[in-house]
Amino acid sequence: MKGSVGKRITTWVTGNRVWRSLFRHDLPHDDLGRMQTMFTNFFLHLVPARVHFHSLRPGYTLGLGVISLFLFAILVVTGVLLMFFYVPWAERAYHDMKDLEFAVSYGVILRNMHRWAAHAMVAVVFLHMVRVFYTGSYKRPREFNWVLGVLLWLLTLGLSFTGYLLPWDQLAFWAITVGTSIASYPPWIGKTLRVLLLGGNTVGQGALLRFYVLHVVALPVAVALLVAVHLWRVRKDGGLSRPLTPALPAIAGGVPDPATKDATGPALAEYEIFPPFSQKTYGLMELAWGTSPVVETQAPEEEIPSWPHLTFRLLVLFVGVLAVMSTMAYFFDAPLEELANPTHPPNPAKAPWYFLGLQELVSYSALVGGVVVPALLILGLMSIPYVDLNREGEGIWFTSQRGRRIALACLLGTAPLGPLLIYLNGHFGARLLWPEAPQAVVDLLNPGSLLLFLIVLISLMTWRVTGSRRAAAIALFSAFLSAYVILMIIGTFFRGPNWVWVWPWQAGAIY
Amino acid sequence: MSGSQPGGFWDRISRRALLGTGWVAFLFSVVGPALANIRFLFPNVVYEEPTVFKIGTPEDFPVGTTTFLEDRRVFIFHEPQGFRAVSATCTHLRCTTGPFVPADGQAKVEHSHCPCHGSIFDKAGNVLQGPAPRPLEVYQISLGGDGRLVVNTNEVVPPDRYFKA
Repeated sequence: MKGSVGKRITTWVTGNRVWRSLFRHDLPHDDLGRMQTMFTNFFLHLVPARVHFHSLRPGYTLGLGVISLFLFAILVVTGVLLMFFYVPWAERAYHDMKDLEFAVSYGVILRNMHRWAAHAMVAVVFLHMVRVFYTGSYKRPREFNWVLGVLLWLLTLGLSFTGYLLPWDQLAFWAITVGTSIASYPPWIGKTLRVLLLGGNTVGQGALLRFYVLHVVALPVAVALLVAVHLWRVRKDGGLSRPLTPALPAIAGGVPDPATKDATGPALAEYEIFPPFSQKTYGLMELAWGTSPVVETQAPEEEIPSWPHLTFRLLVLFVGVLAVMSTMAYFFDAPLEELANPTHPPNPAKAPWYFLGLQELVSYSALVGGVVVPALLILGLMSIPYVDLNREGEGIWFTSQRGRRIALACLLGTAPLGPLLIYLNGHFGARLLWPEAPQAVVDLLNPGSLLLFLIVLISLMTWRVTGSRRAAAIALFSAFLSAYVILMIIGTFFRGPNWVWVWPWQAGAIY
Repeated sequence: MSGSQPGGFWDRISRRALLGTGWVAFLFSVVGPALANIRFLFPNVVYEEPTVFKIGTPEDFPVGTTTFLEDRRVFIFHEPQGFRAVSATCTHLRCTTGPFVPADGQAKVEHSHCPCHGSIFDKAGNVLQGPAPRPLEVYQISLGGDGRLVVNTNEVVPPDRYFKA
């Protein structure tokens, strides 16, 4: 054998039969090898062997879907580790938290990381939904994947809710109390639903065990399954969404090599590499009847090998997410309130930030704010792709300049509505003007239901004026987004003890 | 079917009907256990605090006082007309409503604030403000054989019902 010692060791390690049975390819040197590497490795084959350069643009996806997945992975790992030191027993759970903090090596770091990754996942999954909406990526054939995405958002919220109940501190106890009471409001099934969730009539051991099982088994399995279908459908639908036609006219003078140029920059958009509508189809021989519908305008040469362009980005992104989460976990401790006291809720009793919009809504009416508005909201979100049928503007942020203006107008223009309605409710609310008013009047005339009515009205007016369902959808979604954020801010910074309005600089607002 | 006569049972039933019956049977065999699993999740026995409990002798609650029984989440009012046991569980989302405070800027009578979502109740349990959809519940009071008062939280009585010891 020739060469240095290092070279000889490397050759011995990578040349023997065991290694070669593990890794069937050398590190690839050409495009064929790169694709084979992606193809023959189980983990790499989850992403395509070749990827459209448009999918790699950070400014298009913002990496939010992938970051959600990484956060979920971090949550599974840290969560399983935490299970070794946690018993879902009402008398012990809180003290297990204290043990994790003071007596278990790295226990506090793992718990912090689990908590901050959960908060991050709630935020990132939501932002992913915002991105998918504004880029029109829910359009045919991706309608059902949008529905799956909405379900995954709900499951994320469910995981988060069941998770912060487990420490059995004041937040946990009163969140279960309030959450299961909201569940008792739907007509006919409400009372039964509450017993089912609590495993009894009062909040106690039964409830803790049920939420534990939901948190560590039922919901994670559901998320894993839906994520699998979600990602599978992304691939079957031809990868990430992108503009239907290249944005700019063709130029003479050859095709840029996407592998060597900056594939993510704007440079490539200036070239039309292939004329649109090449109408190429690929057959799935012996696997499925018919041809795959996925290709459409895509030409193979617009794609670049996933190795290394996609894999390297994924790796960098994962390291980035892990670094941010580790730093957060190191410097900021996850909150832990006092031991659950079944007699007295804390005052103010505030949910985590992402539920404070909902808490603000139920503070007007539990039925409308806790059941009707959320149910309509979810149905409305899910039905967007079945109402906005046109593929116009797919893969383009806000569809057009007009879409951008509508989004901005609805985001900023509807922002004062929430505070205004709350002010009116505080001074001319149904209960104030008519103390004997039936509950139905309070349910119908409160800031939550009026806000929903106004948002729908704005959307219908936009439809009427523009004649475009996409424009109406943008108006609806932007107004919803604005209301959601504003209510969250009000709940976080403007509500003090007894849930009365306070200014952020007054005592008791920041809890 | 060897031995079966033409026009017999096996000739009158079509292949489609037979297989259809099979599918329906399969469906029931799946749905039945699924329903049983749902029933399984509803406990028949729960180990919870009793809903009927003794609170002490009438002399423990002098006339004109309001006592908050912390563990039971119940206010005991002893007024000249008699005793009333008013639930401290807010009818909105079951938080514990706070102690009764004198009239102030927010309400013209003695009242109790619920800390969670801002409902305000008067001493009769009526909703003065906030999202609570119903007045606070008033529970039945009786006198036990040993001379102590008994509160039954399963029995909700009209708000003007007083118990004379």
